[in-house]
Amino acid sequence: MDEIEKSTLPDSYVLMNKMGLDENEVARRKDWLEFTPDDEARLLELNEMAQGYATEVIEALYEHFLKFEDTRKFFENPTVLSRVKNLQKEYFLRLTKGDYTKNYIEERIKIGAVHAAIGLDVKWYLGAYNYYLRAVGERIFKAFKNNPDQALQAFFSLTKLVYMDIGLAIDTYIFQREMTISKQQEAIRELSTPVLQLREELLILPIIGAIDSQRARQLTEQLLHAIRDKRAKVVVVDITGVPTVDSRVANHLVQTVDATRLMGATLIITGLSAEVAQTLVTIGVDLSKINTVGDLQGGIEAADKILGIPVTGKHDDTLTSTN
Amino acid sequence: MKVPILKQGNILIATIQSALADKDLINLQNDLSHQVIQYRANGVVIDITELDVMDSFSTRTLRNIASILKLRGANTIIVGMQPDVAYAMVQLGLTLPDIKTARDLEEGLILLHS
Amino acid sequence: MESDHVSIAIEMDTDIVSARQQARELAKNLKFSSSELAGIAAAISELARNIITYANNGTIVANIIEEKGKKGVMIVASDAGPGIPDISLAMQNGYSTSNSLGLGLPGVKRLMDNFEIKSEPGKGTVIIIKKWVMA
Repeated sequence: MDEIEKSTLPDSYVLMNKMGLDENEVARRKDWLEFTPDDEARLLELNEMAQGYATEVIEALYEHFLKFEDTRKFFENPTVLSRVKNLQKEYFLRLTKGDYTKNYIEERIKIGAVHAAIGLDVKWYLGAYNYYLRAVGERIFKAFKNNPDQALQAFFSLTKLVYMDIGLAIDTYIFQREMTISKQQEAIRELSTPVLQLREELLILPIIGAIDSQRARQLTEQLLHAIRDKRAKVVVVDITGVPTVDSRVANHLVQTVDATRLMGATLIITGLSAEVAQTLVTIGVDLSKINTVGDLQGGIEAADKILGIPVTGKHDDTLTSTN
Repeated sequence: MKVPILKQGNILIATIQSALADKDLINLQNDLSHQVIQYRANGVVIDITELDVMDSFSTRTLRNIASILKLRGANTIIVGMQPDVAYAMVQLGLTLPDIKTARDLEEGLILLHS
Repeated sequence: MESDHVSIAIEMDTDIVSARQQARELAKNLKFSSSELAGIAAAISELARNIITYANNGTIVANIIEEKGKKGVMIVASDAGPGIPDISLAMQNGYSTSNSLGLGLPGVKRLMDNFEIKSEPGKGTVIIIKKWVMA
C-alpha cells in the first residue's frame, strides 16, 4: 500500500479537474441535495460530540471490516491497519468540521482514489458510509433524546453530506475505471500494430483488426514517425488482417502513401485482395497512387529492389563436387 | 528572415528556418532563380526540416520554385519534411506532385548526383 | 496558471506565422499529440491566410475550452471582408487549395473535430473550429 500511495496516485487537484469537479459542479450538487448553510451549522454543532465517540466508531467499523473475507485482506498488515484507522478517524471528524468547499471535495476525491487504486470494490467502500450513518444516527438520537425533531434535523444534515460524499466516491471509482479501460485500449492498439524494422531502411507494418478513423490516424502517425526515427526508405504495410477495407480506410491509406512520399520514402501496400481493389476502384478511389503487391513476401522483394538489395532467388549455394 | 543558401559544387542548398513568412518564401524564389544562373547550378536542395507548417501558400510557392528552376536547367529536391507536417499537409489536400523528395540533405545530394 | 486565451490581429503575412505559433503554444497546455498540434497550426495558417487574401484584415482568437469533462481548443477566425457567396460550393472537396481559387475549407474541416462557418456577402465571415483532446 505504501508504494501505491507514493507513486501512482494522480494529484488530487489534477484529478478533480479531469473529473470536471469545479466550484460550479460542487454548488450544483449541494443544490440538488438541498444542502444549505443551516445544514453546515447543524453539523458543526455535532463536532464536539463526534470528538467524544470517534475512536469508538472507527474501532467498531474496522472490526466489521475484519469480519468479512472480502475486506479483511486489505487490512492484514497491522501497521497498515493502524494508519488507515487514523486516516479514517480524521475523515470521520471532518464530516462535522464545516467548510464543505473545494478542499473538502479534494480530500474526498483523494481518499476515493486511494481505495479504488488498492482494488477495494466500491460496494465495500460505500458500506462504510452505511456504518457511519447508523453509528452516528444512534448517538445523535441518544444525545437529543428530549428533542427528537432537532435530532432528526441533525441526522438529515449528516445524511445529505454523506450522500454528497457517496456521489464523489462513485465518480472517482468510475473515473478510475475509465482511465484503466482507456489505458488498456491504448496498449491493445499499440501492441496490435507494431512497426517492425526488417532491415536498415525497411519497415513493415502488418495491420490486424478493424480500423476506425481514430486507429487509422494513430497508425499513420506511428508510421510516419517511425519513418523519420528509423530513417526508413521503404515501408511495407500489409492489410491482409483487416476485415473491412471500405472507402474511408482506402482514403486513409492514400493519405498515408502521400505523406510517406513527401518524406522521401516509399509505401508499398500488400494484402489488398483483387476483389477489394475492384470495389474501391468502382467507388472511385484512385488506387493508381498506391503501390500494391500481392502478399507480404512480394512486398518485401519489391522493397529490396527499391533499396538496391539483390533479391536472392532459390538458387543452390552448395559446391558441386568435382569428382 | 532571409533563407540562407549555400553552394556546394553545382548544387545550391537552401535551409529554411521555422518562422517562414510569405515574403521570405518569395524572396527565396527570387534568390534561387538568380543564383541558379549565377552559379550555373544544376541542382537545388531545399531543406525544410525546421519548417513548422506546409500550407497552401508554401506548397504553391515551392512548386513554382521547382518549375522556374527546371526552366533554368536545375532539378529541385525537397528534403527533411517532418512526419507531422507531412500528415497535416495531406489532410489539407495538398501535394507536391512534380517535385522529388528525400529524407535528408545526404539522401537529397545522392539523388541529385544519380 | 497559464493563459487560456490568445488573440492575434491578422493584417500581414507575418501575422499568419504569429497566429499559428501562438495558438500552438496555447494548445500545448493540453494533451495533444505532436501530430494534432501540427494539424491545428496548419488549419490556422490556412484560415489566417484566407483573411489576408480575401478580407485584408481580421482576427484569430484561440481559447482553451471544456465541455463535459473533455478539454480542447477553439479557434475563431473572423473578418469584415466581402463574405463567401456560396458556402456549399466552398465546402466541396474539389475546391481545395491546390487550385488557387479555393479557400481550403474542406481541408481545414478534415483536420479539426468541429467546423462552423457563418458568412454573408457584405457582412464578413466567421469560422469556428474546435479540436478535442482524445481521452
